[in-house]
This record gives sequence, structure tokens and C-alpha cells, in this order.
Amino acid sequence: MEIQKTEVAKNPETDDTIETTKQNQSEEEVEHCDEQKQEEDELRSVLLSDIGDLPLTPPSATQVNFVSYFITDFTKPGHDQYIYRHANGLCVIGLAPTHIAFKDEGGITNIDFNVGKSDRSVLKVSGKRKKNAMRSESNTALCKVSTAKDSYIVRCCVKGSLLEVNERLIKQPQLLNSSADREGYIAIIMPTRPADWTKNKESLITLEEYKAKKEVSL
Amino acid sequence: MSDESKPASGDSAGLLNGHVTHCDPKTRRVNEAARSLHPSAVKDLLSLGVCERCILRLITVATFDSDLATVSSSTLRGWLGSGVEEAASPETSICIVCLGILQFVFSDDKQTLVKMKSDCGSGHAAWITDLVKQQGHEFDSFGLEVSLPSTISENERAVFDEAWLQSEKVSVKDALKVLVLDPLRASLGAKSDSSSFHIRLTYSKASDDAQGVSETTHERKKRKTDVVYADEENGSSCISENPFEKVYEPCILSVHCNQMPIFFSGRYFKYSRNVSQSRWIIDDERMGEASVEEIIGGSILPACLGDSYKFHAAGREDIDVRMLGSGRPFLIEVQNSRKCPSQQSLTEIEEKINNSEKKLVGVKDLKFIGSECWAMMREGEAEKQKQYAALVWISRPLEEEDCNSISSMIELKTPIRVLHRRSPLERERTIHWMKLEKIKGNTHYFLLHLCTQAGTYIKEFVHGDLGRTTPSMGSILGCRAEIIQLDVTDVKMGDS
Repeated sequence: MEIQKTEVAKNPETDDTIETTKQNQSEEEVEHCDEQKQEEDELRSVLLSDIGDLPLTPPSATQVNFVSYFITDFTKPGHDQYIYRHANGLCVIGLAPTHIAFKDEGGITNIDFNVGKSDRSVLKVSGKRKKNAMRSESNTALCKVSTAKDSYIVRCCVKGSLLEVNERLIKQPQLLNSSADREGYIAIIMPTRPADWTKNKESLITLEEYKAKKEVSL
Repeated sequence: MSDESKPASGDSAGLLNGHVTHCDPKTRRVNEAARSLHPSAVKDLLSLGVCERCILRLITVATFDSDLATVSSSTLRGWLGSGVEEAASPETSICIVCLGILQFVFSDDKQTLVKMKSDCGSGHAAWITDLVKQQGHEFDSFGLEVSLPSTISENERAVFDEAWLQSEKVSVKDALKVLVLDPLRASLGAKSDSSSFHIRLTYSKASDDAQGVSETTHERKKRKTDVVYADEENGSSCISENPFEKVYEPCILSVHCNQMPIFFSGRYFKYSRNVSQSRWIIDDERMGEASVEEIIGGSILPACLGDSYKFHAAGREDIDVRMLGSGRPFLIEVQNSRKCPSQQSLTEIEEKINNSEKKLVGVKDLKFIGSECWAMMREGEAEKQKQYAALVWISRPLEEEDCNSISSMIELKTPIRVLHRRSPLERERTIHWMKLEKIKGNTHYFLLHLCTQAGTYIKEFVHGDLGRTTPSMGSILGCRAEIIQLDVTDVKMGDS
């Protein structure tokens, strides 16, 4: 695989050195410059040595690092959510593409984290032990998303500690419409005990099952 | 050698009947010191079962020093001047204060009684030397440490008045060191100083239990509070335990040598995407094929004949990230090494790792390093810059304008992949420079070279970590970006 080098970067270090050596060249400096270039070429070939075939679309970071689970019709019909679980146990919660809110015209216009007893967006979790995190059950309300027509409650689906909610959604609720499965995630929850997750898992379905189910009902 | 004096019971004149024939100036001083003691006090103590050296060190005002090392206890007894008829013969009676330690009577590890034939320091030193040589250390200087049973100070207090003991008296520990250090120096052929090599003599109380189960510290402490120290002077005592009981079993002596840790430094390369930096085992299963730590440490440890090693590196990389360029600085710490390998053997180890069949890890500049090693590791830690090359995919074709890149500050929240074990924080990190390199024949993939501040998560910078790292490659280029592979191309330390 040949490589075409296009160095148009503002890199003070290498750009300047290459230029100055070209101007004042003694034999030694030429040698050094050549050596450097050789090293760079060697490095480049090593960098690309084990690429293999590059697929047209590689798997996304979410697909690589997380296992996707779904829950459908949670407490109400049409309330479909996803739970992406990382290898370290953390769960990212969000709206699945078939959530009823997306069917309303204009999509989601607003999100409000002030549900239940407290405003979820003001909690401050600190430290390795995740102090002050709100404890949640699977049906604890997380937030309320509103469309032109109606508003819908989004719930935690996972029992554990609420580590973080996506505050960016407050100012940019359209993220939910454009990329609910990435930048439009709603919250991150840490299951407190492995036993809790195993129990939770029983009510969830896998990606394959989700696709099959939704295909049929659509 | 002096003549033994004839026992003169009831003699309170304080003078020897026997006469001293030798005239070694060193031992004469000891002789005089011994003779200056009040004989009836000495007689009482001897009959109690206190040994000659303990008497001398606790009563005499003269300095208890190395001159005493060459004087046997039977000679000493003679000089102390009072015969004790009713006590058992000196050979078998173990001192109730020092428990036989200063008499050079003890049991070895196998509970066999050991009694030095020549009852002075050099015999004891010879025995210790044997054990030290067995452990195989190479050294030219040593530090001597002594550990004694705690009951010895109780014994001292039981026999002598507390006030008397408060004034400067030679402790059993110091007395033993005085008696043994010079002969030990001679027989080991080494200097003694506060060096990095320690010889520890541990005396522990032999148990009374026939099965040899030793008393726990808790039980011993409990027992201590039960004993009320007897005061000899006014005779009041309510002892529940008799400290004047005959001691039948001497202490068990074990000799242990320890070398302080030694360090080796170097830089390592990681060529494989399936090798972790340190040993990584989950549920008995190893993650990855091998680890840098085990490959390097496992080669150095046998050359040092050490007990174990620790691996320290200036930063770390993921298991699927290669370490190229100038390598990452590391330290290997070896515990209790028996010998220090030469630079020649270190070079051989380096070559062996670099020429190994699998080519997983490489090493350079492997060398012995002294106490400045930690300073070296910490050098420029905050300013440490790291250089990376990442293979990036974007969802739209790369265009010429994209290659103008800027140095920028990025704000990153603790990445999800480490959030479970680290505090949720927002951190600011600097990207010093970035360079996009096209790959011929491919518009969606390119090589991203960047130089960042230490502590920047590169993978999260590329794919955005669900929008929690801003800006990200995706947000800068206005599309989705994914990272395919990552390599570290340089770790700049302060000096390089």
C-alpha cells in the first residue's frame, strides 16, 4: 500500500527543522536529515504493517465496546429503550429507535430532568466510590421528553447508582432525534451488585431479538 | 587464663583469694571491673540463675565493650569471685534474664540444642557465618540486626529495681552485638555499616507446649498484664507467675539475610496488539498472550537470583496499542537479590529478548541504576508529551481542507471505559499538534499523528465517547469518526 504524504499541518517542530536544514547544509546535517527521514519511513511502514483489509464501514466504538440490550413497552406501550452495557459493568441508557416519541411530528423538542423528587441534572457525583449518586430502581423516572403532541417518561430500566445524565440534551434536545444511540444518550448507571444486573437482564432482550420483534410489529 | 578462686563462703572482704596470672591489658580491665563488684550481691544473683555476662552488664559501671568478647563465661565466673555451691553446674543452667542468649546457648531451626564449644563470640560468629553463606548472597558489607523476645525486659525488671535499670545500662541486644560483631566481621570478611545488606538474628521463645505451638502475641500480652513485677528491695510481691522459675529451654535462633531492592532501568517496545503491560488475569484466565512485565522481569530475576520483582513504567498503554518509537522508560525492582549481574550479562539479556522468536517485546538501554531511579521516572511528569499515530475512519471522504489542523485544548470527561474505577471529573488536556496523513487509494481512512499532554485519552478523542469529549475528531471534521488502531510513537521524558 503506497502512502501519499500530505503534510499541511502547522507543526512548529518538524516543519521548521526540515526547512532550516535545507538551507544550511553541511555534510553531517544532510546525513542526519536523511537518517531522520529513513526513520520516519521505517516508522510509517511499521504503523501500517498490520492493517490488513480495511472494511468500508468499520464497526462503531459502541458496537465494539458495548453489548446492546433493549427493553420494549416498558410500563407503557411504545416506550422502547436501549441499555448498552460496557465490559466494566456500566450501562448507558437511551431511547431506542422505535420509541413512540419519534413518531410524533417534529420529533422531540424538549427534555426535562426534573421529575420525581429531584432534578437529575444537578446531582454531583464525586470520587471513586461515587458518593452522592442517586440510587435508582428499574422503574425510577429518569426524565421527561416532550414533543409537540405529548410528553413521555423515560425510566432507568437498571437498578443501580445514577452516575451521570447527559446535560447537553437540555440545550440541544435535537440530539435525541439525530443520534439517540450516540450523542443523544440519556444517562449512565452503575449497577451496584452483579446480582442486581443478572436479575435485571431477565427482562431485557438482545439486539437480534429486538430487530425480530420490531420487524414483525411494524 | 586465670586460676579459679577457691569458694570462700561468707567472705565479705571483697577480695579474691585466687590470683590472676595473665596480663592481657584488655581482659585485665574486665577482670578489674568484675572484681570491683560486691560479692554478696553477685552471689545472690548467681544463685538466682542470672548469668555472668548479664551480671556484668547490669551492675558494672565500666563500659561493656568488645574486650569482653574473648572472655569465656567460666573465666568470668572466676573473676566475679564468689563460688556458688548449691546451684547446678554452670553448664546446664540457662540465665533467667537473657534466656541463654548471652551464654550462646540456643536451639536452631530444627529445635536442636546448640551450645558453643568455645564459649565466646567467635564460636557464635562461626555458626552464624555458616548460615549466612548458605543463603548465597554476595556482599562486602553488612548491617547486623537483632530481634529478641519481649519477655527479656520483663525478666530484667523482675530481678532489678526499675530505678536502677533506668540509668544507662547495656541492653541484651547491645551486649550481644558487642560480643558478636568483631568476630563476625572477621569470619565473613566484610565491613559492618548501615549498608543495604542486612543479617537479622531472631531469637524467639521456645514454647512450653509439647506440640510446639507457639503462643500468640495476644496471649502473651494478656499474660504480661497478669504479672506484677516483684520489687526485691522491699520484698512486696503479689506475683501470679514466678519469673524466677528455672528456664529449661533456650530460645530458638534463626538467621535471615536480606538485601535491599536493586533497580534496573531501560526503555521497552511493545510490538504486539495482544500483550498487556502487566500481568492481567481475570478468573484464572490470562488476558492477552503475555505481558511486558513478565517478559522483562522474568529474564532479569534469574540473573539476580532474587526472590521476586516489581515492574514500574512511566505511564501505560492499552493491550491493543503498540509502543514504538523511542520506547517507554521502565524500572525493574528486584527483591532480595543474591548477586548483581554485570553490564555484560544485562546486555545479553537485552539481546535475548530482542532476538526472541515471537518478537512481542523489545528492550533498549537496560542498565543498573541506583537511588536516582525514582527521580528519573518522575522527571517532567507533568510536562510529559506523548506522540501517537492513529488509524482513523470517517463517515465522509477526506478533503484537502481537513488537513489543516490546529493545536487545541480539549475538555474531556472521564471516559466511560474507566468510569467504573475512577472519579467522574472533567479534565482539560492540550493537544500540542496534529497531522493528518492521507492513505493512497482510500478516502475514508487516514493516519492521524498527534502530540498530546500526558493523560489524554486518544481513543475517546477520536470517537468522541458519546459526545463526552469535546472537541473530538468527529466534531472537528463534522462527521462520525472511529479509531481502528493506535500506536504510541514517542514518550518524551525531560531529558530526551
